[in-house]
Amino acid sequence: MDAKVMMAGGAAGSERTPQPYWNPYPAGIGLGLVLLAAFVVMGRGLGASGAFSSLVAAATEAVAPAHARENPFYAEYLGDGTKNPLMDWLVFEVVGVFVGGFISGILAGRVRKAIERGPAISGATRLLLAFFGGGIMGFGAKLARGCTSGQALTGGAVLGVGSWAAMMAIFGGAYALAYFVRRQWQ
Amino acid sequence: MITSWARWTLNQKLGLLLAVLGICALIIGSPYRGSSVTVDTAELARIVERETDHVSVEDLADWIIRGKAGFRLIDLRSGEEYARYHIPGAENVPLTALVGYGLQRNEKVILYSEGGIHSAQAWFFLKAADYGGVYLLRGGLDEWMEKILFPRLPSEGTPGGTVMFEKMKEVSRYFGGTPQSGRAEEQAAVTMTLPKLGAPSASPGGGQATTKKKKEGC
Amino acid sequence: MNAPFFKYGLFGDNVSLIVAFVIGIGFGFFLERAGFGSAKKLTAQFYLKDLSVFKVMFSAILTAMIGLFYLSWLGLVDLSLVYVSPTYIIPQTVGGLLLGAGFVVGGYCPGTSCVAVSTGKLDAVVFLTGIVAGILVFGEVFPWISTFYNSTPMGQITLPQLLNIPYGMVVFCVVLMAIGGFAGATWVEKKFSATKGA
Repeated sequence: MDAKVMMAGGAAGSERTPQPYWNPYPAGIGLGLVLLAAFVVMGRGLGASGAFSSLVAAATEAVAPAHARENPFYAEYLGDGTKNPLMDWLVFEVVGVFVGGFISGILAGRVRKAIERGPAISGATRLLLAFFGGGIMGFGAKLARGCTSGQALTGGAVLGVGSWAAMMAIFGGAYALAYFVRRQWQ
Repeated sequence: MITSWARWTLNQKLGLLLAVLGICALIIGSPYRGSSVTVDTAELARIVERETDHVSVEDLADWIIRGKAGFRLIDLRSGEEYARYHIPGAENVPLTALVGYGLQRNEKVILYSEGGIHSAQAWFFLKAADYGGVYLLRGGLDEWMEKILFPRLPSEGTPGGTVMFEKMKEVSRYFGGTPQSGRAEEQAAVTMTLPKLGAPSASPGGGQATTKKKKEGC
Repeated sequence: MNAPFFKYGLFGDNVSLIVAFVIGIGFGFFLERAGFGSAKKLTAQFYLKDLSVFKVMFSAILTAMIGLFYLSWLGLVDLSLVYVSPTYIIPQTVGGLLLGAGFVVGGYCPGTSCVAVSTGKLDAVVFLTGIVAGILVFGEVFPWISTFYNSTPMGQITLPQLLNIPYGMVVFCVVLMAIGGFAGATWVEKKFSATKGA
């Protein structure tokens, strides 16, 4: 039902009616197997925010190289200059995420242009909030050394202390603020 | 009455599987292999005989000067000895901490100690634990000091030997050593002081460690 | 026992990038399968109407955690070579709170926003721009907050090490918690969806 409400702009999406989502448990198991594969093959887990950090570092270097090298945060992503910061494991992984999401979406008829929001606010307000939400998340992801994929999911599976703390804080922070932005979603 | 198995939903079956796995994990306790290893003695003997596991001090000095990265240099001595002097770029790791230190199995690792005994023993531990690229500095720090820091002009000077000595003087100065030339009387007067560390700052081992740092973050 | 393969040198950096791409495809695929390309579904978690985020996340954590435990026990994987992110307890907790806030305001997290972008959601595009901006701001103020950023380090410490209890016991406790959580989630969903109406 939500899908039809969300249908904005015409033939961009697939003609099929969107299929229902998977039962969360098999989906989670599938996700867990992908994570396990990463551990077994690479000895590391998944991530997402790190790819964007590499992107920011690379862009900053292109625009203001001296400034980027002085700043220890960017310098960490730029390495010793012998390698392009975009030739990074996470960057390639995130590109894969785009592709994988698209494949699943196409197969399920769920690719369509839309602005996800509740009925009570306008599209423009939603976009504004999306930007600010993203900003807070970007900043928080750096402090926490990762986002839900890197810390909660990956760090959770290897039982890292900081990761579990971050995971609980993520849920805590979201629940704490949920009441105040409920109009955006309900 | 227990409901028949067929009537359980998928979720409930998954839940049961999960509970079973959890209880087994509790019983098993620790998933680590522990510190026991299997050793292929024939293979190790072959390596020892072929001496492919050795690195000479001259080669090492050469690599450090040229800033060649791609290996880690491990100093197996105590913290105090390390603080007094160590080969530039070396990391101080005691033998007991070596296997858990986080060395990757595909890295090239060069071990040294005072002479060769501890490094040979450490070499054995690492090879037995499946580390691929482990090497010993032949002669250890003793040979480093003798040949690199304080090279001596041989008293019967052959032309080839003199040329070699000139080159070694440069190398020695690079590392802050004092080349020893001349006769025994002069020897007594010249003090062999160990260089203070600071320069050269080229640390292939250390550099490798820092640029690797971000590779596994998220 | 030659796993993790990369750490045994079975392939190099370039192949690892291809591995990254393939793994990413799997990651994105299952995220979308679960419906996490939709901000409404994601945020429903925080209004107790649809706790799929919790169910998927914990099912994944359990699968990988149990998988690692048994593979290591069988000698097929060297668990000590699997990367554990160093703990900086205070900044990570503060960062987590911000992440949670950003999640419910923005509607996505970085990984799910990529999936949402590739299934056409415009708000996800804006969200990603926001992430980039947030990281940029972080980078610029970094010199001033770097002390905080690096405070309270605890090293690469795991729960079994911290609590000084066997790894298997921690696994068991997490399993117990999860089973309880799943049962509780089913109950909560029924309760809150019923009262809110269609």
